[in-house]
Amino acid sequence: MTMTESPPSEAAESTEPEAAVPGTGLYDALTTSDHKAIGRIWLRVGLLLLTGVAVLGVPVALEATSADSVDVFGGANAAWQMNGLYNVALVLLVVPALTIGLATIVVPMQVGSSNIAFPRAAAAAAWGFVVGAAIMVVSVFAGGGWGALDGVRGEEADAIELTLLGMGMVAASILLACICLATTVVSLRTPGMGLMKTPLFAWSILVSASVWILTLPVLIANLIIIVVDLRGGPLVFGNPEASTMIYDQVHWILEQPAVFVLGIPVLGIIGSVVPVVAGTRHVAHAGLMAAIGAAGLLAVGGWSQPAFSDQRDELLFVAFGLLAVVPVLASLGLNSLTLAKAGVPAGLPPAQLLGALGAGLLLLLATGAGALRVIAPLDLIGTDADAAVGRLVAFAALVGLAAGMWFWASKIGGHALSNAAGLGVVLDFIGAGVLMGAAHLLIGFDFDSGLNETMAWIVFVGAILAVLGAVGVVASVVSARRSGTDPGDDPWHGHTLEWATSTPVPPGNFVGALARVTSEAPLLDAAEQGSSDEEGASS
Amino acid sequence: MTATARLPSPELRRPRTVLVGTLFASAAAAMVYFGVLALYVSRRAEARALGVEWFPEGVVELGPSGWIFWTLIMSSFTVQWAVQAIQNEDRPNAYVALGLTMLFGAAVFNQMWFILNDTGFSLDGTEAQFLFFVLNGTFIAFLILAMAFLLLTVLRAMFGQYSPRQNDGVPAAAMFWHTVATMYWITWIAVYVTK
Repeated sequence: MTMTESPPSEAAESTEPEAAVPGTGLYDALTTSDHKAIGRIWLRVGLLLLTGVAVLGVPVALEATSADSVDVFGGANAAWQMNGLYNVALVLLVVPALTIGLATIVVPMQVGSSNIAFPRAAAAAAWGFVVGAAIMVVSVFAGGGWGALDGVRGEEADAIELTLLGMGMVAASILLACICLATTVVSLRTPGMGLMKTPLFAWSILVSASVWILTLPVLIANLIIIVVDLRGGPLVFGNPEASTMIYDQVHWILEQPAVFVLGIPVLGIIGSVVPVVAGTRHVAHAGLMAAIGAAGLLAVGGWSQPAFSDQRDELLFVAFGLLAVVPVLASLGLNSLTLAKAGVPAGLPPAQLLGALGAGLLLLLATGAGALRVIAPLDLIGTDADAAVGRLVAFAALVGLAAGMWFWASKIGGHALSNAAGLGVVLDFIGAGVLMGAAHLLIGFDFDSGLNETMAWIVFVGAILAVLGAVGVVASVVSARRSGTDPGDDPWHGHTLEWATSTPVPPGNFVGALARVTSEAPLLDAAEQGSSDEEGASS
Repeated sequence: MTATARLPSPELRRPRTVLVGTLFASAAAAMVYFGVLALYVSRRAEARALGVEWFPEGVVELGPSGWIFWTLIMSSFTVQWAVQAIQNEDRPNAYVALGLTMLFGAAVFNQMWFILNDTGFSLDGTEAQFLFFVLNGTFIAFLILAMAFLLLTVLRAMFGQYSPRQNDGVPAAAMFWHTVATMYWITWIAVYVTK
C-alpha cells in the first residue's frame, strides 16, 4: 500500500457499493468487463482443458506403445485423429488459455492500470475461445479433425469444416486477447514506467502477444484457403480424401519456431519470481528484456510452413533453430546470477521458485532438442523429434504457468495455494515433460525397434504424470477456495505494482492514484527508501 | 483566471489506446492477407517451375486493376485530409474528406467486382483461379471492414465525440485504411503486374 497516495480506508469509502461486490453468477460472468473476472474465465477453461487433454494423453500414449496389439480407439484413423487433437489442443488450447488467463489478471496490475485495454473485446475473446474450443473438440469426436486416414465418408466432410471453423475461432480469439494485452502494456503503463522499466512478465507478454499477432493470422490465412477450398474449390489445399493433407497444411503451428512462442511468458515468469525470492534486484534487467525480445524474434514462425520452404534445406530455418538456445541460456544465466548474488534461501523451496527454474531448464531442453532437429544429417524432421520439441515447450510452459499461479495466487483468487501441493504439481509436470520429450527424441533417432517400444512406454508414464499434475492443480485451487486462507496483501514482499494493491483486489485495482514509478521494482524502491528514512531518523 | 494561469499545467496523460490497438489489429489483418498472398505467390512459382501456365494470356488485364491502384492512392490522401481536419477542429472538411474516402472505397469495391466477373474465373476451376478468387475475396472482406470502421468514425464525429486533443478514432481508422490500401498496392504488383 506504500505506493498509493491515498489510504485505502478513504478510497474504500469513495467506491460505489454495487461496484465493490463482483458478481459470481453466469450473467455477471457473461457481462463482466473487469480484467480479473475475464482472466478467471480463461483460467477456468484452461484448467478444464488441461485436465481433459492430460487424460486424453494417456490412451494416445498407450495406443502408441504397440500399434499391433493395442487398439484403444478402435482403428488407425480414430487413433490418428485423437493424436492430432492431443497435439493441437495442448499447443493451441491449454497453454494459450492458461497464459492469457494469468496475463489478463496480472499484467494490468503490474503496469499500474485500472483495467485491461478494450475490456469488452477481452471478454469477447474469452467467450469466443470457449465456443471455438468446444466446436473444435466436439467436431473431432463427431468424425471431423484434420483429414482422415481411411477416406472421408458421409457427413465427415462437414465435421472437418467444423473443426477448422473451431480452430479459426480459437486463433481469432487468442489474437483478440493478444491485441488487448499488448495494447495494455504499450498504452496503459503508469506514469514513470518507461518501456525499459516494464516488469518482466508484462514485457514477456508484450513480446509473445506481438509474436502471436504476426503468427496466428498466417494460420487463419491457411484455414481460410482450406475452408473455401472444401466448400467449392478444386480441393487443392483442403482435400480431406488426401489423408493427412489438412493436418500437414496447419501442422507448422505446432512445430519450431512457431511453437517456441509458448515459452516466452515462461522467461517472464522466471524473471518475476527469482528477484522476489532472492529479495534483491536483477543484476541485469535490461539484459533479461533483451533476451526475452530475442526469444520472441526467433519464435516468429509463419514463414516456416512447408508450403513456403523446404525446412531441411532452409538456411534461415536452421539458423533460427540453432540460435533459439541462446536467449534461453542468457535468461537462465542472468537469473542465476541474481540468485547467486542474494543466496538461495534455506529450507524447502517455494513452489514458484522450483517451478520457475524447472520451467527454464525444460525450455532449455526444448530449444536444445530443436537445435538437434534442424541439423540435416541427423534427419530428425518429420520424425517423433517434432513431438519432442512440442512436448518439451508445452510442459515448460505448464510448469512455468503453475509457478506463476502459485506466485500470484492471492491476486488471482484471493487465496494462497499450498506450497507442498505446488511442489508436487511442479515435479509432476517436470517429470512428464522430461520423460515425454526425451522419449520422443530417442524414438526420432530410431536407434532400435526394441528401444523405441521402451521409449513409447516411457511416454505413457509421462502422460500419467501429466494427469497427476493436472489433477493436482485443480485440487489445489478447489482446496484453497474452501479453506479460504488469507495470504495478506503482499505475501512474498514483491517488487512490482501488483503487490501494492489489497487482497482480494478491488475493482479498479488501485485505490487512489499511484505515485510516479522510478524503476522496474517500485515496491523495492519504496522499501529501501523507507529503511534509509528510518536510519536517517535514528541517527 | 490569474490564479489558475499561474498553476503548472497538469501532466498530459493520453493513453491513445485506440490508436495502439488499431496498430496491432492492422498488423494482424495485414498478416492474414499476406499469408494468403504468400501462398498464392509460392504456388504460382511452383507452377512456373514446372512449366505450367498460371493464367491464360490476356485474361487478367492491367487496366481495371490499375484504376483501383490509383483510386486507393487518392483515398489515402483524402483519409489523411480527414485526420488533419479533425485535429484542426475543422468539421466540415473532415466530413467531406471522410465521405470522399468512403466513396473511393465504394468505387474500389465496384471495380473489384467487375474484375472478378470480367475474368470469367470460377472458384472450382484451376488452382490459379481458385487462389485468385480467395485473394481478392479476402481483400474485399478487409475493404468492407475498413469502410465500416470509417463509417463508425463518421458517425462518432457527427455526434461530436472527437476534439483536437482527443481524436484517436480518426487516425486509427486512417491507419487501418492505409493498411488495406497497402495490401492492394502489393497485390497489384505481385498479382496483376507480374502475372
